[in-house]
Amino acid sequence: MSIREIFALICFLIAIIFGLGGIIGLFRFRDPYSRLHAGSLCGTTCALSTFFGLLLLSSSIGMATRIVVIIVFFLISAPTGSSIVGRFIWESNDTEQTKKKKEQVL
Amino acid sequence: MEIRSKWKLLRFFFTNLFLFAVWVLFTADLSAFSLLAGILGSLLISALTYDIFLSEHQANLRFFLPSFWGLFKFLLFMFLELYKSSFQVLVAVITGKTNPRIVHFRTRLRSDLARATLSNAITFTPGTLTLDLNDDHLTVHWLFCNTTHTKAAGIAIKEKMEKQLGHVWL
Amino acid sequence: MLVVMQWFLLFAAFACIIRLLLGATVSDRLVALNVLAGVSLALLVLWGVKQERVLYLDVALVYDIFGFIGLLAITRFLKDRPSEGEDL
Repeated sequence: MSIREIFALICFLIAIIFGLGGIIGLFRFRDPYSRLHAGSLCGTTCALSTFFGLLLLSSSIGMATRIVVIIVFFLISAPTGSSIVGRFIWESNDTEQTKKKKEQVL
Repeated sequence: MEIRSKWKLLRFFFTNLFLFAVWVLFTADLSAFSLLAGILGSLLISALTYDIFLSEHQANLRFFLPSFWGLFKFLLFMFLELYKSSFQVLVAVITGKTNPRIVHFRTRLRSDLARATLSNAITFTPGTLTLDLNDDHLTVHWLFCNTTHTKAAGIAIKEKMEKQLGHVWL
Repeated sequence: MLVVMQWFLLFAAFACIIRLLLGATVSDRLVALNVLAGVSLALLVLWGVKQERVLYLDVALVYDIFGFIGLLAITRFLKDRPSEGEDL
């Protein structure tokens, strides 16, 4: 086992730990906000650790550059996606509350 | 008027440069045909969209050109922060101790790019999630809330990152 | 090592799909969809490296860049519904 494979194994172990935590959080929490926190943050860390491990294992330069580009775009797209979902939850909650208020007034 | 048209030309140039760099990166092909097609395509697209890509009021080069040493330090800091915050959320998942609440605060950063990066960075840090970014007004959902005071919440969530980002962009 | 990781990611994707089917509200389903996007991206890259094919990585790259635009379209579509789409 070369040193690259040992480091990749460590990365994969970290990914498995965080991924399991994310899944447990996805099922355990009650409200969608907390689920989003657990799922998106642990999911991002899991995927990122997997990418780092695969970067260590990649066999050619072309493959490594593509993985680096994927990592950069993942760092941009993952928080944006969870922000979109969070904003949707916020706005739908908001409309429900305002609806209730309007009903109370009426 | 003179300065405005000059700034317009500069914005056009930067959009073009960015698009062409992305083209070369994705095609990974340095033949004459590919380069020419890239130049033509990026000229067309930047002529259509330079006003959206860089709006006129961002009249400072430091607004969108990062300082690379600062960017590198910020990225390193972000990776550390990501693992730390994931660990905190992991602990919260196991113990089930949370105190979720929505807080609002303002940011001092002035460029749009820096604000967008700040909101993405806030999503990465422990138990915070950006819901809305409206000019300089941020709405954040906080999982481990201990204060509702606007200024205290702002200091607790973004102070370190804002300082780091201030070195990268303006 | 890669095989173990592959099975783990498949398990995670299945858990997300179960959450997607169980989800009480639309918000829960969207959260599951968001996590599923990340997991499937990791799975694509894993297969690309395992079979030493660069083509899979290109597919993963495009999915990475345009993946969240679909999410944006879904949220835009659901936001205009009168009753938050509980029956979906």
